[in-house]
Amino acid sequence: MTGIDRRTFIRQSIRTAVASSAVGCLPALDLLALPAIAADSPPLAVRKGKNIKQLVKETIGALGGIEQFVTPGEVVVIKPNIGWDRTVELAANTHPEVVKTLVELCLDAGAKQVRIFDRTCNDERRCYTQSGIRSAVEGLKSDRVSLEYMDRRAYKELAIKGGKAFDRWEFYMPVIEADRLINVPIAKHHSISKLTLGMKNLMGVIGGNRGRLHHQIAESLADIASVIHTDLTVIDATRILVANGPQGGRTEDVRNTETLIASPDMVAADAFATTLFGLKPEDVSTVVAAAQRGLGVMDLKQVRMV
Amino acid sequence: MKNSSWTYARKISQSFCLAVFLWLFLQTEYRGIDQLPYPVSLLFRIDPLAALADFLAPGPFGWQILWPALLILLGTVLFGRFFCGWICPLGSTLDGLGKVIGRGRRTFSPGWRRVKYYLLIGLGTATLFGVQLLGLFDPLAIFLRSLTLAVYPAYNYGLNRVFDFFYEHNVPLLSATVKNSYPFFRDNLMAFHQPIFALGLFTLIIFLTILLLEKVEHRFWCKNLCPLGGLLGLCSRYAILQRTPQKLCADCKSCDSLCRSGAVRSSGHMRSECLLCMDCTGFCPEERVHFGLRTGSDHYVGVDLQRRGVLTAMASGVMMAPAVRIGPVTHEQNPYLIRPPGAVAEDEFLQRCVRCAECMKVCIGRTLQPALLQAGPVGLWTPLVVPRIGYCEYNCTLCGQVCPTGAIAPLKLPEKKKNVIGLAVIKKDRCLPFAKGVECLVCEEHCPTGEKAIVMEEKELLVDGEIRRLKFPRVIDKLCIGCGICETKCPVEGASAVRIINEGESRRKRSELLAGPYG
Repeated sequence: MTGIDRRTFIRQSIRTAVASSAVGCLPALDLLALPAIAADSPPLAVRKGKNIKQLVKETIGALGGIEQFVTPGEVVVIKPNIGWDRTVELAANTHPEVVKTLVELCLDAGAKQVRIFDRTCNDERRCYTQSGIRSAVEGLKSDRVSLEYMDRRAYKELAIKGGKAFDRWEFYMPVIEADRLINVPIAKHHSISKLTLGMKNLMGVIGGNRGRLHHQIAESLADIASVIHTDLTVIDATRILVANGPQGGRTEDVRNTETLIASPDMVAADAFATTLFGLKPEDVSTVVAAAQRGLGVMDLKQVRMV
Repeated sequence: MKNSSWTYARKISQSFCLAVFLWLFLQTEYRGIDQLPYPVSLLFRIDPLAALADFLAPGPFGWQILWPALLILLGTVLFGRFFCGWICPLGSTLDGLGKVIGRGRRTFSPGWRRVKYYLLIGLGTATLFGVQLLGLFDPLAIFLRSLTLAVYPAYNYGLNRVFDFFYEHNVPLLSATVKNSYPFFRDNLMAFHQPIFALGLFTLIIFLTILLLEKVEHRFWCKNLCPLGGLLGLCSRYAILQRTPQKLCADCKSCDSLCRSGAVRSSGHMRSECLLCMDCTGFCPEERVHFGLRTGSDHYVGVDLQRRGVLTAMASGVMMAPAVRIGPVTHEQNPYLIRPPGAVAEDEFLQRCVRCAECMKVCIGRTLQPALLQAGPVGLWTPLVVPRIGYCEYNCTLCGQVCPTGAIAPLKLPEKKKNVIGLAVIKKDRCLPFAKGVECLVCEEHCPTGEKAIVMEEKELLVDGEIRRLKFPRVIDKLCIGCGICETKCPVEGASAVRIINEGESRRKRSELLAGPYG
């Protein structure tokens, strides 16, 4: 048996350690980001159309149908953006028709319960009503669907493993405990993160002083996204807000893009959405931070358009 | 003590009125409709004292709102103080809680009864001369204010703790039941957000004091102190309702000890002091007592309002105005004196506001807080916008809808969105980009005006020897309406890095504005 002697073993170990730590020091090579490159190319569906109900069905259909994401008997959380006391045409909240159609799809797929909520910025009663989401959801008249106000008691502080901005934060437990999470943001302008998309929408299921996240918005949102697993992201770009975001207030700032983007990979969906604003994925720091953490794929050449 | 059918009728009326007022109180909350569907401020619309305050305030009398108060006055002129015995929620509370608290049977010198008249005359005169403090002593304002600022928040807090306990601990049998009943309580019998008020404890102590006066004497407050009782007493002088027998009977004298308002004397029946509770029709052992329309002879017996006392009360009222006016102008001294949107000019506001706290109850942003001394000593319990606690919701017009005296004018939504209550000012020594060199945009993000009143401007800043490109917030004065959401949401701990000041507010006179930089 030709084993290595102790001396060689120690020498080689030291060499390997030095070499790998030297490589690890290089900022360009983020070891955590490696799995992202190795991951399968995620599917991404983009469709255009005026009829929102049909648009949602087509886009989800392109991904293989809602059955790919929801199986019978599951508790599904649908998280639209209901953050603002604004009406539908002002493009501050997710379109109620998008939310409604997704709920219908989930019910058809046999979901046991579909829960909808958001931690709003204005008074939640006003936001739920004014956004049109209350009447859309209540119009379904199903006891398996509930549009709920966030329960102040259901937040719990969780550790964020590998968190860069925070190592702990309060999360809304019904989201963590649900079988499925469908994230349904609206694509909008934002003056610090440039755009608010899927990752920013997850701020609606965390507790605490959310304003503090803005100091390091990209890393903070990546920290949050590393804890919350999203099964499907559907970005409502039926109309988008191009200025005075994220709550707008003027129809002059709204563009009708009649587009819907869907992917199981939130980062890929966000990355594509940037192009609607004439930007590139690398222009939006939150997308870049998430991709570097291996939370998804931002390189649109690596995604599989379906 | 035997009850007559009149007593039962009176008790039913008291319970019914109290229930209606409590129900309206619970409805004084946003429930998904921008326009409140019920006349939640009904209590003040039937309040003659609120009507008096409104009548004596500058500007026209609010007929459309306050006509029910005149009906009460008319009824009182005809029948006497039926309001005190049959309707007043504070009176009913005192009657109801009297048994729990324990009732005192001390009799006070008859001079005490004059206090309520002197209070009414003094406060009325002061109002005429421009200082309105009627609301401080108005029983209906006291009732609603105590409910809003103290009792209801405490009740909510208690219930929440109970529900929280069963949410967090699994108690066999009990937890499931309590959890299942929670949605009903949450949606119907509890506040949407736990109410938080700065003067909660102070208001509670005053309310409890009034309740505890029952221990001294039954209806002590109503007999001796209540200026509304005084006003109704004055009006009932020629009432046509007559009690027979008018005097204490020589053989019995039960009325002397049993009458809750001590209205029956050997000299006669004191109409202005009788609360028309009708108990005497029941407890009279010989069933002699009857109430009926006045026929023939009537010997009026009233409280002897001494000329000296009346003149002193009037003089004090007259003196109050200069005593208040010699102080500095409060809104110039206190830049954080911010009033709700639609509030009339400060002087008139102080004369109109009856401190009923309806606006504070209905405010969905919880920004309206009772003032202690921020608006000067006469501004006690008037509503203040305190943006660090809450903000004025951009699309909400509720406070103007509930104000019973026009101190806060009802504004249509487009008007409200243009109504300037103040101006945001960024404190650069606290604001994160300026003071710490880190990104933040929370104030800009939440600014609700269509074209944002806070904009972010990119500049370079030297931080720790390196140049950073950062975005800095700047307020566009002519777009800012002072809603205060920036101050509420500012993530800086403790005092906000954005403060609302009362500069440029809409309710100041135009000329003042034109002279300044905001014309």
